[in-house]
Amino acid sequence: MNRLPLDPSLAPPGTRNFRDAGGIPADRWRADQDGETLVPTHCCFCGVQCGMYLRVDKGGKVFGVEPRNHDINRMRLCPKGINAYQQINHPDRLTAPLLRRSRDEPFREVSWEEALDHTADEVRRIQAAHGNDAFGLLGGASLFSEKTYLVGKFARVALKSRHVDYNGRLCMVSAAGANKLAFGIDRAANPFSDILLTDCLLIAGSNVGECFPVMTQYVWGARDRGASLIVVDPRETAIARTADIHVALKPGTDSAFFNALLHVVIKEELDDEAYVGAHTTGWEEVRDKAMEYPPERAAEICGVPAAQIVEVARTFARAPKAMAWHARGIEHHSQGVENCLSVINLCVATGNLGKPGAGYGTITGQGNGQGGREHGQKADLLPGGRSIMNVEHRRQICEIWGIEESELPPAGTSMMEMVHQMRRQEIRGLIGICNNPFVSLPNYSTVKEGYDTLEFHAQFDFFLSETAANAHVVFPVTTWAEDEGVMANAEARVVKHNKAQEPPAGVRTDTWVICQLAQRLGAGDKFAFAGSREVFDELRTASAGTVNDYYGITYERLEETGGIVWPCPSTDHPGTPRLFEDGRTAHPDGKIHMQVVEWHPPMDPYDDEHPLSLTTGRTVAHFLSGNQTRRLGALVEQTPRPWVEVHPSHGFRNGDPVRVVTRRGREVFPALVTEAIRPDTVFIPYHWPVPTAANALTIDALDPRSKIPEYKVCACRIEPGDRIAEVPAPPTAPGQVAYPAAQVSRTDPLPPTSPQGRGTAERG
Amino acid sequence: MTEPPAAKPAVALRATAAGTAVSLLLILAIVFGSRRLKDFDSALLPYACATVFLAFGVAYRYTVWISSPGARRLFRQGWRSLFSAANFRRAPTALPRMAATYLGFQKFLGARSHARWAAHQLIFWGCLLAAAITLPLTWGWFTFTSSTGSGPGYEMRIWGVKILGFDSLNVLGWLMFHGLDIAAVLVIPGASYFLWRRMKDRGAITGQRFAYDLVPLILLIVISVTGLLLTFSSIFLHGGGYEFLAVLHMVSVVLTLIYIPFGKFFHIVQRPAAVGMQLFKYTARQDEQVFHCRRCGQPVDTAPYVENLRGTMRDLDLGFDAWAEYCPRCKRVLRGTAYLAHVKKGYK
Amino acid sequence: MMGRTIFIDPGRCIGCQACVSACRECDSHRGKSMIHLDYPDEGHSVASLPTVCMHCEDPVAPCAEVCPADAILVTADGVVQQADTTRCIGCANCVNACPFGVPKIDLQAKLQMKCNLCYDRTAYGLAPMCATVCPTGALFYGTVEELRAERPGVQVADSFTFGDVVVSTGVAMVVPADKVQWPVPGGLPIVEVNGRTVR
Repeated sequence: MNRLPLDPSLAPPGTRNFRDAGGIPADRWRADQDGETLVPTHCCFCGVQCGMYLRVDKGGKVFGVEPRNHDINRMRLCPKGINAYQQINHPDRLTAPLLRRSRDEPFREVSWEEALDHTADEVRRIQAAHGNDAFGLLGGASLFSEKTYLVGKFARVALKSRHVDYNGRLCMVSAAGANKLAFGIDRAANPFSDILLTDCLLIAGSNVGECFPVMTQYVWGARDRGASLIVVDPRETAIARTADIHVALKPGTDSAFFNALLHVVIKEELDDEAYVGAHTTGWEEVRDKAMEYPPERAAEICGVPAAQIVEVARTFARAPKAMAWHARGIEHHSQGVENCLSVINLCVATGNLGKPGAGYGTITGQGNGQGGREHGQKADLLPGGRSIMNVEHRRQICEIWGIEESELPPAGTSMMEMVHQMRRQEIRGLIGICNNPFVSLPNYSTVKEGYDTLEFHAQFDFFLSETAANAHVVFPVTTWAEDEGVMANAEARVVKHNKAQEPPAGVRTDTWVICQLAQRLGAGDKFAFAGSREVFDELRTASAGTVNDYYGITYERLEETGGIVWPCPSTDHPGTPRLFEDGRTAHPDGKIHMQVVEWHPPMDPYDDEHPLSLTTGRTVAHFLSGNQTRRLGALVEQTPRPWVEVHPSHGFRNGDPVRVVTRRGREVFPALVTEAIRPDTVFIPYHWPVPTAANALTIDALDPRSKIPEYKVCACRIEPGDRIAEVPAPPTAPGQVAYPAAQVSRTDPLPPTSPQGRGTAERG
Repeated sequence: MTEPPAAKPAVALRATAAGTAVSLLLILAIVFGSRRLKDFDSALLPYACATVFLAFGVAYRYTVWISSPGARRLFRQGWRSLFSAANFRRAPTALPRMAATYLGFQKFLGARSHARWAAHQLIFWGCLLAAAITLPLTWGWFTFTSSTGSGPGYEMRIWGVKILGFDSLNVLGWLMFHGLDIAAVLVIPGASYFLWRRMKDRGAITGQRFAYDLVPLILLIVISVTGLLLTFSSIFLHGGGYEFLAVLHMVSVVLTLIYIPFGKFFHIVQRPAAVGMQLFKYTARQDEQVFHCRRCGQPVDTAPYVENLRGTMRDLDLGFDAWAEYCPRCKRVLRGTAYLAHVKKGYK
Repeated sequence: MMGRTIFIDPGRCIGCQACVSACRECDSHRGKSMIHLDYPDEGHSVASLPTVCMHCEDPVAPCAEVCPADAILVTADGVVQQADTTRCIGCANCVNACPFGVPKIDLQAKLQMKCNLCYDRTAYGLAPMCATVCPTGALFYGTVEELRAERPGVQVADSFTFGDVVVSTGVAMVVPADKVQWPVPGGLPIVEVNGRTVR
């Protein structure tokens, strides 16, 4: 017999554990009644941009969160949002610049002067030897809009390089491309509140319950008022579980499905001839193409009953007011733009646009997914959504920036293409700001090779990401709560984030670092910004008169109103929550340009070796590459590791090691066996690095127009695995370990109870 | 907040009897302990009376307490484990070790908060010291006499028997005479910390009641401060204000003693039950009598404990004692499954 | 019976566990989450069930009744408080007697802890943390009239059956209109049919 402990108490699972205090020992959590300040701000995570208060103690440190009755979220928050504040004073924070001359050396902490001088020297060296375009810049869509504006300007004016892009390329670009093509304006057509007014809500390729949890209140609100809900998703997600119709189609078949819906609509004369006649171009061709997709054909392609397609078409088209919202599920495809266009075609054909409760929207994944793509950090765009290929647009921007048009570089290439250029040494130096491509880009081995080939690589981040850990220089920058700025949410509502505390010693704002680098590169006069406020003023001017008009939006107005939706051309303009109310789009002819969509199979062919579809996505406790959320104890406790979701028909039991093999890689995950997924499809969440990375398996095929990678479908097979790969600890600065209390469950080999995480009783 | 319902008449009768018996016993002990009141200091009479009330109150409340089904069953099981000879042979050190960790060093408080543990230890040892000195003095069990009338040579006697003689000017003597001052010095910071915490900590403030949570702390501080001032007065002020302080001190002590059975301090009497409970579970664990959940097979608690709990639930007419055989998670999951199957599966 | 209380609708729950994280932010027990979130349909669907303390009314809170230390007090407004820290001896009687599986226990601290309807917030007129942040309204705090204003025609039930026993609670659950006459099943499995054990 083992020696019995003096305390013989037992307690059943789920009753005894408090080991989830967000990485802070439970007995050190206190709330003292000695005065605190509530700073109104918004969440740093997804595109819903929930309002929240950060609780600041007398010492000026953020120590908690309090719900805020903001228009967008009405006090609701998701688990990520509630735990977000714990990043701010987290022990894993970087507090000194890191530098090394080669990747074989360890990092050493250096002064800001040394890090900035070294970076500027490397930029000059590489550009002198190989031309300006040999140095690239990659931004991110979790930056404030001011900073995204600076990223674009820095690339064009200080680096004078064409190679600038951002991680929204992995996220929202398909929707952006489709919006531009069809409407000439790139944003959701309706505000969230319109969802409450609709009679039929169609959600395509969006796990709203997990990726945008707070948006669920609008979905449920619509249903409470009698709306029917249609969910198109290969998995039975939380919103699909109770939906009126759940279309569990095969990944990569969305446009066939939407063409077939259009087919039924036309055939049953449910289309709005008058609307289409008055407001569109290209309808004839679209209609002819739709006639090639009878429900029976689509049923075969999509793997759903033809009757269900007819039912969906009728439900949507017969509703007095119908709405469609979509997200990455239909956008992350080699025909992502076309998938979005096929949804637009359906809405337009049924006349569901520009009315309260009738319209179309895309749900941006990153906090500033909308704002981040508007002001010039995208390879082909200039501020105000201007095109870098358009002579007139170039002239306007050069005038604002005070440079010669000849100095302004041409359009660059997309993020994934830049990786290939790194491998070919066409790009030899890179600065990355607010991104983590080692986890977020597809086909990891290619990405790693590309970055390893770089002669010089610098990253900006506040935690050492997997990508930053591979760099030469790392700049420790602020979190969202240590600087002010604006973001635009999925409704294109511009909201203001306020500064809640001073950054820790040694940490600078991204704005400061960019301006310092610009100064060292001889462009200091164009980057004389004291802070976000000054940048925003220039951004307003730069966007004045464009489609994405921010001119009438000021910090003061944002603080007074809680958000203004662009376009907002003057300071007395109320903003434009709903587009197309007058039936006119932003195209010169005012028409909706309907586009023909032809379905084609995904780029990764199925064969006997790879008969299944692998699809990837998010889980509710983690965000994107996980560099932030994998360090927060509560979120690690909820979902410590990735898994592979498989249908019981494959014969695996829960927790069995399952090897997933694609043409690019093989990895072993614990099986989460559930009937809530198609038998021909497996799912892996993508927030973790190799050897537990979904993106070691995914294909880097791109949409020809948006250049978005085809994350959502590739061919794979599954087989019994041997050892389940352990999740590596998040990287940290030299001499540190990832905060142990937050990492307790990381090595747990079991899958979560459900895709949303481990039940509270299943934790250790 | 409502306390549990008042005791039933039969219980009240039994409790009154117990209270009366215990207070009579105490009176007898005082009379004989003070050598038929020869050693009894009549100035301490109010204190002595208060202790008699205390004895009655504690015995009464204790009887009521262990008459409720939950406490009664655990009380019996605890004593049964304690008096089991087999138990003692197998683990002779278990009881003293448990008593030391739970009652003496109160390790469990450290798991709640280190600061609270430290403050509680200060109060605990301070009060223990004070009680060990004052109660026998009050009852006339201890006497300090000097053959010379006013020292410095003193004799300490218990029940009239000389225990030791000491010089009030050496360290031991100083400690003997200033034991109560030391106790006060221990209690004041501890009680002040708790008082400060009750003003500040939102967790502590939630549901806080003045009479239950604040009064005892204030009493402890008043007793300690007035006690110290008495010493201060006699040494530095030549007795200035002594009488007023003495009355204030006496009033606060008497109030505290009377308060013990009815307020927060009753936990002093109750807490040893934790050791009984531990011993009961310890005994069963030694025989590996672990009860596993009917559904998931995870350990719930010891088998005799689950049986004891079911008995308690039956005593209370809670008709779902069989449900105790399932772990809480399985209870929730079964309820969730039943809701999905019989109430509604989805949204509507 | 029902005043201002929590109404639970598992049908709306998306299992996101915002409540679990929010509970931990509650000032009266910062760092410790009291709410339970289970996925009862594991392997079949992503259905989920949040469990807060149901604040039993009849019989008077079984947890308080079985407590050997009189540590669980009930406020005048029917809120069953968590164990009094000075009295609780950590015996786990309440943990295993609660028909809803609610109380938790800190074995090291010898202390039971459970949902107290965020007494520190409700006392100031604020909703409990979990119901404040719940993105779906699966946890709703207010009166039944306020609930109906948001969800026209919704029906609620505040009694549960465990075998032959009916337990009435302060916290209620949403039920469909045709089931409003019946207590909600508590989930106690049938162990015997006509004297034969079917367990």
